[in-house]
Amino acid sequence: MSAISVTHLGKTFGTVRAVDDLSFTVERGTLTAFLGPNGAGKTTTLRMILGLVTPTEGTAVIDGVPYRDLERPVSTVGAVLEATAFHPGLSARTHLEALRVAAGLEAGRVAHVLEQVDLTGAADRRTKGFSLGMRQRLALASAMLGDPEILILDEPANGLDPAGMHWLRSFLRACVHRGRTVLVSTHVLAEIGQIADQAIIIGTGRLAWQGPLTSRTDLEELYLEVTR
Amino acid sequence: MNRLIRAELLKARANRVTWVLTALAPVMCVAWAALMVLLPEADGALPGRRAESVYSMAQQAYVFTLLLGVLGTAGENRHRTITWQFLVSPRRGRVVGAKLAAYGIVGALIAVLSGLATLAAGLLMMGAAGQEAWSPRAPAVLLGSMLAVTLYGTFGVALGALIRNQVAAVAVALVWFMYADYLLVSFLPDLGRWLPTGAARALGGMPLQGSELLPVWGGGLLFAGYVAVIVIAAHALTLRRDIT
Repeated sequence: MSAISVTHLGKTFGTVRAVDDLSFTVERGTLTAFLGPNGAGKTTTLRMILGLVTPTEGTAVIDGVPYRDLERPVSTVGAVLEATAFHPGLSARTHLEALRVAAGLEAGRVAHVLEQVDLTGAADRRTKGFSLGMRQRLALASAMLGDPEILILDEPANGLDPAGMHWLRSFLRACVHRGRTVLVSTHVLAEIGQIADQAIIIGTGRLAWQGPLTSRTDLEELYLEVTR
Repeated sequence: MNRLIRAELLKARANRVTWVLTALAPVMCVAWAALMVLLPEADGALPGRRAESVYSMAQQAYVFTLLLGVLGTAGENRHRTITWQFLVSPRRGRVVGAKLAAYGIVGALIAVLSGLATLAAGLLMMGAAGQEAWSPRAPAVLLGSMLAVTLYGTFGVALGALIRNQVAAVAVALVWFMYADYLLVSFLPDLGRWLPTGAARALGGMPLQGSELLPVWGGGLLFAGYVAVIVIAAHALTLRRDIT
């Protein structure tokens, strides 16, 4: 069974057709780049997979099950959606601790994920003072809390400086090395082209191209070609 | 469900706003109690009537539990942390249920604190003023007021779930309980007992501008009914909306 399968997915917001008859699968243990211009429907698609947005038609399932019906959602899928989504008055540790308690995970997980994303030193500061890069790492820490096999990341490279990009690349490589499944949307084609197994490219809500990537694929050329 | 309640309590405890509002609640009650002590005695008032009015001021803590409930719920939308909530618990009704319980608990703590402060201040001030500081109904007034303050916390949660915009939710809560209900009563005194304010006041026997109130149990049930209706409305109208 595929880790993620999206079948004839569609979403209409008012008069806007955000996603239209989109189908694709993400196989276990692969890293899939989810590409497309701004406003192409990437975020909406990822949010439909995660049960946050209700599809107008079609289905999105994880291990064959809709997200809303997963037994232990955060231990199955980790998601990074909005880098800024933290309560400004709470510390990074409290944010993670509240998620950990709500998900019923073991106590050591918070310290572990803070270590994983290099935030241990800033863990007790209010997130109000966090830089964009720190927020991205805290979001990744939140996603890793349940030690999920599947990661869904919406533009995790946004706002990262070169050191942050370097860190993210090794993080994603380590994920793949450990056999995790990653679906990541990004605009940083050169970076993702180096590590992705396959690419899904969408334009105006529809599938434009899907296929495996090899070391000879020029992802940027391909992207510009199919989204023109 | 228990886990979600514990997570809510953890967040409330870690948030400075909770502590500020918790500290202000008893101060507000004591200030109102002092006002009641200073008011001149009405002609022919029954002995102990003043003590009851003084102790019923424990209910003035309501605005703080109401606000905490609203902020704890609508605040998740404002800061967009609702995304994390629904990722952890895709069954959204449970999130609201956990918040109702958590802010009921927070509200109860504030209610007890405010009730004790009102009682202590009342005994001291009425004693100093040489007034009758006790009445057989005083315990019932205090307990009823504390229950009302607790329930206002859940009312805030319900309102915050229905009105997702935090500023709008706070505005509706404050206008509703500080102005709208009183305005309605001044036009239609008979309506008073059926309004949320009247229902809550029936619990602590605090009069509402001369409007006749329901019995204590009736007020409690009616107020809980208001909370239930708003929660059901939130389920039907806003809770299932897309989180974009």
